[in-house]
Amino acid sequence: MIAHVDHGKTTLSDRLLEYTGTVAPRDMVEQVLDQLDLERERGITIKAQAVRMLYKADDGNTYQINLIDTPGHVDFSYEVSRALAACDGAILVVDASQGIEAQTLANVHQALDHNLKIIPVVNKIDLPQANPELVREEIEKVIGLPAESVIFASARQGIGTKEILEAVVREVPPPTGDSNAPLQALIFDAKFDAYRGVVTYIRVLEGTLRPGMRIQMMQTGKSFEVDEVGIFRPEREPVDDLSAGEVGYLIANIRNVRDSRVGDTVTDEARPAAAPLPGYRHVTPMVFAGLFPTDTEQYQQLKEALEKLQLNDAALVYEPETSAALGFGFRCGFLGLLHMEIVQERLEREFNLTLLGTAPTVEYRVRLRSGEEIPVDNPDHLPDPGQIEAISEPMVLATIVVPSTYVGNMMELSQERRGQFLNMQYEPGDRVVITYRMPLAEIIHDYYDQLKSRSKGYASLNYELVGFEEANLVKLDVLVAGSPVDALSMIVDRSKAQQQGRRLAEKLKTLIPRQQFEVPIQAAIGGKIVARETVPAMRKDVTAKCYGGDVTRKRKLLEKQKEGKKRLKRVGNVEIPQEAFMAVLSLD
Amino acid sequence: MERLHSLYLHVPFCTWVCKYCDFNAYAVLEGLIPPYVDALSREIEVAGAELPIGPLETVFIGGGTPSLLTSVQVGQLLERVRAIGLAPGAEVTLEANPSNVTAERVEGWLAAGVNRLSIGVQSLQPDALRFLERLHSGTDAIAAIRTARAGGFANLSADLLFGVPGVNLVVWLDTLESVLAEGVQHLSAYELTVESGTRLGQEVRTGLVQMPGADDQLEQYWAAAARLEAAGYAHYEISNWAQPGFACRHNLAAWNYLPYLGAGAGAHSMFRLDDGSTERRWNVKGPHAYIKQASGGGHALDGSETLSPERARGEAAMIGVRLLGGTGATREFPAQRQQLVGAGLLVEDHGEVRLTRRGVELANQVGAAFLA
Repeated sequence: MIAHVDHGKTTLSDRLLEYTGTVAPRDMVEQVLDQLDLERERGITIKAQAVRMLYKADDGNTYQINLIDTPGHVDFSYEVSRALAACDGAILVVDASQGIEAQTLANVHQALDHNLKIIPVVNKIDLPQANPELVREEIEKVIGLPAESVIFASARQGIGTKEILEAVVREVPPPTGDSNAPLQALIFDAKFDAYRGVVTYIRVLEGTLRPGMRIQMMQTGKSFEVDEVGIFRPEREPVDDLSAGEVGYLIANIRNVRDSRVGDTVTDEARPAAAPLPGYRHVTPMVFAGLFPTDTEQYQQLKEALEKLQLNDAALVYEPETSAALGFGFRCGFLGLLHMEIVQERLEREFNLTLLGTAPTVEYRVRLRSGEEIPVDNPDHLPDPGQIEAISEPMVLATIVVPSTYVGNMMELSQERRGQFLNMQYEPGDRVVITYRMPLAEIIHDYYDQLKSRSKGYASLNYELVGFEEANLVKLDVLVAGSPVDALSMIVDRSKAQQQGRRLAEKLKTLIPRQQFEVPIQAAIGGKIVARETVPAMRKDVTAKCYGGDVTRKRKLLEKQKEGKKRLKRVGNVEIPQEAFMAVLSLD
Repeated sequence: MERLHSLYLHVPFCTWVCKYCDFNAYAVLEGLIPPYVDALSREIEVAGAELPIGPLETVFIGGGTPSLLTSVQVGQLLERVRAIGLAPGAEVTLEANPSNVTAERVEGWLAAGVNRLSIGVQSLQPDALRFLERLHSGTDAIAAIRTARAGGFANLSADLLFGVPGVNLVVWLDTLESVLAEGVQHLSAYELTVESGTRLGQEVRTGLVQMPGADDQLEQYWAAAARLEAAGYAHYEISNWAQPGFACRHNLAAWNYLPYLGAGAGAHSMFRLDDGSTERRWNVKGPHAYIKQASGGGHALDGSETLSPERARGEAAMIGVRLLGGTGATREFPAQRQQLVGAGLLVEDHGEVRLTRRGVELANQVGAAFLA
């Protein structure tokens, strides 16, 4: 099940589960497949989730259908690609009032890359603004799927549920694998269970997997004995075997999270397959940021938490980092800003940590005068300007889908962000698809929020990396109370550097709370101060009366203030809040 | 449990609740005074029987407006107190509103055993008194001090407020001068504090009233401190000054973290338990509820909290640093002390510490350093 974010995939999945009796009505909650608390709170899907349904079709046969619900946000497109690699067909959900959006297109391209049969569904047809006919026309013209194949549905009202299941049975080809062939199973996800070790999510393509078998991971060469195999309904349910075509999980006393790599192929040690499955396109992180424990004692805990989370989030990469200002932490690579936010929140909630994240940056390629080329994903690691021959930055192909009224605003914004206009195409339903080539660094700096606000929320965005391009960039440093704070450094376009420095200093002045002493904030380019602001010292903090009941009240107030301060990071003598490290993201 | 030698009695009645006040005080309930005094007497009696208390070194009758009580009622309360045991030379304070200080009452209070009067002057300036909603004039306040002294009180304190909107430095110092001219032994000068939930709080929030800035407030504070010191008053607590030998013994006991019993509506007590922990408990706030509960069994407990020995030490230090003559209460916190000395907020002196001038201005920051 694929769609642009918020087009109703997860609710539609709920209906399919209900209709096929996979989830008993009394167990039905909204967003059954969203298992993270965070997903339910935010109402979005972060992780792809698999579930097995049994459907008795009109032809009298009962079919086994494995459904994987996927996230819609651009940051998580990697989850979608992994899910699609394990599938035979895709249900494409399009909102009847929003129409085709940027991720709709991106997801369709991914599905086509995997040669999947696509079943188009126009959802939310019950809404007053819905225009299903127009969206159907759009699907035919933009995506090239025949209008007759489009199913109208309302997940809220349960309209179209049966038609979708019938179309799946009719259109999606049955799996072709041979259950007697040597085992080939694709790992598409994994999760750490404190009691059982690693739970590996697999799609069996050839052969049969049973408990007691010795299996081998074809990339790592490690072998294990299978304890349990099972399916998702949507809770884990053990079964006797999983054979070609089936989706499920295996537990094999795998203790080290690295031994169950997503994309690897599981085979039978005694009778191995000739070759591993193609696996996935290797995921490349788009943005990088430092994650530091606010309490330095939590470094080891953070390290273990990252190891465990990485198992469940293959797109997350990290390596140790030391910051003069923030101490020991990790430089992490993320798929985008939402991914970064989600990872930080999951680490804090699932592992009970208090973290400080630095502003995300992209990975630059720096060519030195010596001829050597080095990657730089941390502005503070940019070599001395004297050694640098040239700096290249990652470029993306950005696709914006927007109603025609806002085309001017979109172009203005993209021009401001150093975008190179490539193409503009008018589509049915007053919809325009605009493409730009622009620096990824500009996208992560508030571009998406601006895009949304300058289009009254109508624009959607998708982007993909298309290579590197040389640019005239400089490092902007920030000094707080006279000392450089490495975690606040940023790499900016030279022509905008001075202005950015001024704005950053002004912004930091509003974000750093008054301290017991005056705190000067300076922005510098190559040692030259380009902006200066001062946070005045706290003038007074004294309670006039402290008698009887005042004491308890006062102590509680001071304790509460102190608790709040724990979220601040002490850099030298100055307490800096998390928001200050993110200030560089929204300077416009 | 450590023996109690201090007693606080709360009288929650006022003729009018001033707009800045967030104490447990109520107007138009004066009719409740007789049953309230009975209930309070009962609470004192029961406490005397149940708790290790007395002989009492200090008694403080605060409010509200305790001077609304007749001298007979004050006598009734102090009779109960004497039954617990009053140490020779004990300090017995009554808070008085200038409007109630008549020669007749002064005579009655003295006869009942009160030996220290704390008069709520607040200001002498007509506009300020009107702003603060005080029902007395400046002349009334000066007359009250004179009447009390003439009647025989040799230990008088005056409460003043500074940082009142519309009162500049000159007017404030003029008020201070006039009160000093009356020869009070003790003076409390409080910065007018905006508390949420008061009418002043609402007026400030809605922009109707603008409070003076921190610089102006501190200027008035330090100018008063300088004047008082020159006049021979020791600045012994952030908001309190006294001639030698006249520091308020009752409050000093609490600031030195000695236990006390508080009786009456909303009154707080502090007990020191044998394991070094501190128990704080408080009574129900409303006078009706208090009368109902205390009249029978003599108890009107609303809640309590016990602080571990470590947290209790932190609280003792938080309060102790407010004593400007120095305190030993930070002994267990060498690291914090060193940091605060380094930051120029504390100075060390013969093993004790005291706030620097900047430390006084940031006293809450200093106090918070000792809390967990």
